[in-house]
Amino acid sequence: MEVALTAGVAVSGLLLVAGLLLGSPAPMWWGVLLLIATPVLRVLVVTIGLVLDHDWPFVGVSLFVLGVLLSSAYVSGRL
Amino acid sequence: MIAIPTFILIISGAATGLIGAMLGLGGGVFLVPLLTLALGVPIRTAIAASLISVIATASASSTINLERGLVNMRLGMALEVATTVGGLAGGLIAATLTHRQLFLAFGATLAVMGVVMALRSRRRNVIAHDAGIEPGRLGGRLREGDQSYVYRVKRLPLAMTASLTAGAISGLLGVGGGIIKVPVLNAFCGIPIRVAAATSAFMIGVTGAASAFIYFGRGDIALHLTSAVAVGALPGSLLGARLSQRVEARSLKILMAVVLLLVGLRMGLQAL
Repeated sequence: MEVALTAGVAVSGLLLVAGLLLGSPAPMWWGVLLLIATPVLRVLVVTIGLVLDHDWPFVGVSLFVLGVLLSSAYVSGRL
Repeated sequence: MIAIPTFILIISGAATGLIGAMLGLGGGVFLVPLLTLALGVPIRTAIAASLISVIATASASSTINLERGLVNMRLGMALEVATTVGGLAGGLIAATLTHRQLFLAFGATLAVMGVVMALRSRRRNVIAHDAGIEPGRLGGRLREGDQSYVYRVKRLPLAMTASLTAGAISGLLGVGGGIIKVPVLNAFCGIPIRVAAATSAFMIGVTGAASAFIYFGRGDIALHLTSAVAVGALPGSLLGARLSQRVEARSLKILMAVVLLLVGLRMGLQAL
């Protein structure tokens, strides 16, 4: 999970810095989007870990949270 | 809105990220007043930038907290159910309350939390030594130097209620909600302050993402301002997470109490 978080934060940070230095909105757009998506990726990794542990009650909890996040992303695409 | 120099925005993000990561608050409670009151940024733009900064702060500090084993993942995920539902309810309730009522309620809540935290600053909430004591399904173990401690989660319904409230306030004002969760988890639910702050930071990123998608979809995010603030927040929060380990637990609690009182007073004055 640390790898997913670190990669998400590092890549989005680099994109934001590149966007600011170049004065270009495209890297900033992708950087912000990746930053928002990083916690979703984190919950996904947690869910996979819980499935591997056969911890079914907490798999259900994680899937509920993941469902709320994905619903939010889906709704945002239709605004 | 006047053009704000990029380095001012980066410093603002770094300062609020540093404090947010040290206290497990996410930084939004400091950034929104700073952007609106000091820099003249419109409130909607400030809230959107704050949400992105809060996610950056939470994600960056969580990488360090996970390494140290401070995040209680199962507890965080269980409470996140209430937080996300609270966020949805917060959006619905916001339509029925006036700004004055919201500011007064928030200010009073923070002031009470600050007093409670100050009064309980000497309490440790851990059972000394491991000694084979079971932490339960949601509890955990904490290592400090050579010693290992066990903590159990008490009053789970209260923790869920606090998370619901935190989610609702997050939905109303665009802040992380750690300012509610950390004191309640520590003072009433038996969670050590470092674990409460780390678990809260883990949760704040997830809660912030749910709202941020909506702001992103609506086009409310000012890319340059938000990017500059987030670029500052990333190193600021990493430094804050490292410093939080060096600050004594009691100092952290007193610092938290002072912050709660000051922000509560500011919110109360805003209502007058």
